[in-house]
Amino acid sequence: MIDYQYLKPKSLEEALSLLESYGERAMLIAGGTDVMVGIRNGKFAPEALISLRGLEDLAYIEKDNDAYRIGALTTHRMLETHPLIRSELSALYDGASQVGSVQIRNVATVGGNICNAAPSADTAGPLLALDAVAVLKGPRGERNVPLSEFFTGPSQTVKELDEVLVEFRVPAVMGEYGSAYHKHSRRKAMDLPILGVAVSLKVTDGKIEDARIALSVAAPTPIRAKRAEDFLTGKMVSEDVLEEAGKIAGEEASPRDSLRGKAWYRREMIETFVPRMAQKALERLKNR
Amino acid sequence: MSEYLYVGKSIPRTAEVDKVTGRAIYINDLKRPGMLYGKIKYSEYAHARIKHIDTSKAKKLPGVRAVLTGCDIPDVRVGFLKDQTVLKRDKVRQFRDEVAAVAAISPEIAQEACDLIEVEYEELPGVFDPFEAMKEDAPLIHEVDARGRPVSSNILPLPWRFSAGDIEAGRAASAHVVTDTVRTTWVNQCCMGTSGCIAEFDMNNNLTLYNQANVIFWDKRRIMEYFAQIGLKNSKVRIINPVVGGSFGTKLDTDIYEFIAIQLALKTRRPVKILFTREEEFRALPPRQPAVFEIEQGCDKEGHLTFRNVKAVLDNGAYTSWGATTPSVMMMPISSLYRVPNVFFEAKCVYTNNIYCQAMRGYGNPQATFAVEVSMDHLAEEAGIDPAELRLINCNHSGDETPMRLKITSCGLEECIRGVKEKLDWDKKRGKHKGRGVGMASLIHVAGGARVYKSDGHGMMIKVDEHGHVDVMSGGTDQGQGSPTVLAQIIAEALGFRPDDITLTFGDTALGLWDAGTHASRHTFIAGNAALRACEKVKRQILELAVEEIPKLVKHQIKRKKRKDPDFKEPDLDFSLIANPEDLDIKDRIIFCKKDPENPYFRTEVSNVLREALHVGTGQSRVVAAEAFYDPPTEMLDREFKGNLSCTYAFGTTGVEVEVDKKTGEVKILQLYAAHDVGKAINPTLIKGQIYGAGYIGVGYGLTEEMKLEKGKVMNPNFLDYKMLTAKDKIPVTPMIIETDEKDGPFGAKGIGEPGLVPTAPAIANAVYDAVGVWIKDLPITPEKVLQALKEKREKEK
Ligand SMILES: Cc1cc2nc3c(=O)[nH]c(=O)nc-3n(C[C@H](O)[C@H](O)[C@H](O)COP(=O)(O)OP(=O)(O)OC[C@H]3O[C@@H](n4cnc5c(N)ncnc54)[C@H](O)[C@@H]3O)c2cc1C
Repeated sequence: MIDYQYLKPKSLEEALSLLESYGERAMLIAGGTDVMVGIRNGKFAPEALISLRGLEDLAYIEKDNDAYRIGALTTHRMLETHPLIRSELSALYDGASQVGSVQIRNVATVGGNICNAAPSADTAGPLLALDAVAVLKGPRGERNVPLSEFFTGPSQTVKELDEVLVEFRVPAVMGEYGSAYHKHSRRKAMDLPILGVAVSLKVTDGKIEDARIALSVAAPTPIRAKRAEDFLTGKMVSEDVLEEAGKIAGEEASPRDSLRGKAWYRREMIETFVPRMAQKALERLKNR
Repeated sequence: MSEYLYVGKSIPRTAEVDKVTGRAIYINDLKRPGMLYGKIKYSEYAHARIKHIDTSKAKKLPGVRAVLTGCDIPDVRVGFLKDQTVLKRDKVRQFRDEVAAVAAISPEIAQEACDLIEVEYEELPGVFDPFEAMKEDAPLIHEVDARGRPVSSNILPLPWRFSAGDIEAGRAASAHVVTDTVRTTWVNQCCMGTSGCIAEFDMNNNLTLYNQANVIFWDKRRIMEYFAQIGLKNSKVRIINPVVGGSFGTKLDTDIYEFIAIQLALKTRRPVKILFTREEEFRALPPRQPAVFEIEQGCDKEGHLTFRNVKAVLDNGAYTSWGATTPSVMMMPISSLYRVPNVFFEAKCVYTNNIYCQAMRGYGNPQATFAVEVSMDHLAEEAGIDPAELRLINCNHSGDETPMRLKITSCGLEECIRGVKEKLDWDKKRGKHKGRGVGMASLIHVAGGARVYKSDGHGMMIKVDEHGHVDVMSGGTDQGQGSPTVLAQIIAEALGFRPDDITLTFGDTALGLWDAGTHASRHTFIAGNAALRACEKVKRQILELAVEEIPKLVKHQIKRKKRKDPDFKEPDLDFSLIANPEDLDIKDRIIFCKKDPENPYFRTEVSNVLREALHVGTGQSRVVAAEAFYDPPTEMLDREFKGNLSCTYAFGTTGVEVEVDKKTGEVKILQLYAAHDVGKAINPTLIKGQIYGAGYIGVGYGLTEEMKLEKGKVMNPNFLDYKMLTAKDKIPVTPMIIETDEKDGPFGAKGIGEPGLVPTAPAIANAVYDAVGVWIKDLPITPEKVLQALKEKREKEK
């Protein structure tokens, strides 16, 4: 039978000390949209749930000289409705605004989306393509982990049991990039991506100065397509160049056959959507 | 026809306020005193011998009141072909096989107890494809038949073979012939409310079963048959429907969980509720019947159809429910959609270790129409004729008798085809093959009842009380389809009351007369006709009383007025004007004199008359009540599957415009026009609701929905992986209502429940072909399939 204690610490310190004393027997819960589903399915059976919902000051979207700072408890709805995210970190807007449904987005957090570490997480690709860094706090202090090093496998991350994710930092320079994310799914709501493609580009006078390409559901974890990025860097924008980048990204990925989609189809969608998202990113840059 | 007050008006649905405010009592909400909760232990194998079942741990769990296995209950066979038992004893043949059941004080404890039951199996080789299952060396799903005689094949002994005219002669007369293989798969009915029931016995072993059956009297009969076999011959059965959250065919058969609830209630002497989870709904509820068709069709030089030759193979699953009877409906479009003189159809149902199937909206018609309509477009291309034109050349018309001996009365098919063609701007848009395309498909369906049982009747009782309240007891059921509102409109119109005055009671075998069920799009037509007949009697009774009571009421009134006002002048009233019931009529609950309608003395509320007639103070008091039983003048299909089984038939055409993304294979529906001959729209909004809803399910059938089975196991038993469309996947459906005023229909109406779904998928398939030149003849039309087909096409063109 489903049975657990529900603890609601009032401060981060209290949360950390509860985590320490319960160890493996406890689980953090933010919006609960992954945790509760997992408990129902029998995937998790924690003795205690440590809720982060008392830590309201961890829900924020800010920008300073160095970085955009997004609190771990920021909901997808907050991201989706924040003008800064929409105009400057557009890929993240694309990802957050397509999670589940409005009801889900009102409670589900970006921290939960990343810590749950599903290969299909809709904000993972965008945050990867935006060079985000995850800030973790634990008994040994604070550490910054680039998102590209955060995921270690499906549902697995470098985050230790006694650590809490507190913030994402996106370097301020990313505001100069154009970015876009495509969620390839069969339905327009209440669906997970068969494949996700995020692209961010920095372009001057038609020349690609820097490129980031992130793929989700294309490998056991969300990944960056570095060879495709390198290929693009320094090239003049053209349809052929973008197509070629798509092909390279397709080769870099290691998608698998699953109930939700076949590997060959996923690979072709990478080839299709890397150039399409690059175009969308360029258009957004132009329209700024 | 503008003289109608309520018929033809978009009156809002009557009972829905309770539904949208959470007040309506569904099976989920219903609790009986002392009630226990039942859960079912399902098989862990698709095909295995049961070696041992150990229930000892489950029985010891606190809160458990009963644990049953096949050894604890009578070994009685149930189902359409009596090919299964309630709990399986020796062998399991599919993953949904019920191996044991538990009743406990909470659903959680019951589930935990189920998990504690240990079953030892010896796995047997399974067969998961009907073509494999037909092979000689295939493992046998059933070793013996219902009577215990050994069987040698997985093919069911069902004689689905239809023949009319001469196929060879048809072939010889053809200038063009096409053949296609067409496949449809399992889809779930996806009712908003999951399945469930409560079984409750009184101390005399009489059963009350609260369930969602849509054919309550057949449900009662099946349970009575079961009772006769388990020693409860003298028990009575009452079926009561709570509010039902949709059925779409799922509640046509009596399901195994109902027998299990009955057994648990018998054992514990307490009411027992079984309520499916959504996962169970996907794994353990019989979905739509899949079928593979080989269809061959020909036409002469002018495009007249010469013959249609269809062979179908149906994956029956491990047991038999109504899915195996869908060929009886498949015959209808195969023999009668468009004029085709020579027809042959044969269907084989084959046992496999997959899930077994039953009814779903359209009942075999969507599957067969997919085959027929894809083949029509193929033939049109082969013959070089515009596909819409080919349909018009062969269009059904009023007065036709089809090879199945269906008598076509009113028929709006030509109008539907032409209407859709115009709306789509067909001539301009078709044949471009540039990523956008248009396609159409039509349908024929029963729309005036369907004599699948020897009685296609419906009984209705109506009483009117001294308050002017009209209570209607219908033997039918309300699955949420909207016909209660429509019936209230029909009754209000026929009686001269208001829809608000009318309260309907459905779905109770103790309160209603026989009805053959809410299925086959028959409720409005059949119950509507019963209502008209009952209303005629009721109205006659009221007017007969009025003839006696109005003069008395008038005299009282005059006396009162005189008392109040001595100067009051007595009017000169001619009572001969209201001497007979024929002289009177009712409108808006007011009885009036036909020849002098405005005369205030001759105008009175019905309730005044009824009150006077009831409270008379002598032994003469009277009430108003009447019943009517309507059984349409139709025929059962004969041994050759021919006969006019419905009073009238529905026709319709769906036309779509699609855009296909050649790089992703995605199909986007830009426009969907659904033209339907509805006879008469008694409530246009509700008709549109049926067309929208059926259109959505049709698009899901065409593009996204499929139950994925791997070696018999349902792999996507949830709405995340079962891609039912959401509100955000807006499909731009435009209903087009065509009225043909059906002479036998109540106020001219025909059935509309199922038709909207039927032609949707083939219209999409044909539009996809028009857009990008590939035909996906295997539902659903997924992006993967489209992309794969485009690749193959490119390879071929190289
Ligand atoms: C109906 C439905 C639809 C959905 N649709 C989508 C979709 O379209 N796209 C998508 O990507 N996801 C979807 N999801 C999954 C889910 O909503 C998201 O992953 C969501 O972002 C999770 O956030 P949460 O706050 O609810 O996380 P929770 O469920 O509370 O937590 C998820 C995990 O993260 C951990 N965690 C949470 N916060 C922290 C923190 N600050 N520090 C450390 N660990 C933490 C928890 O311990 C847990 O392991 C859907 C879920 C549902 C139920």
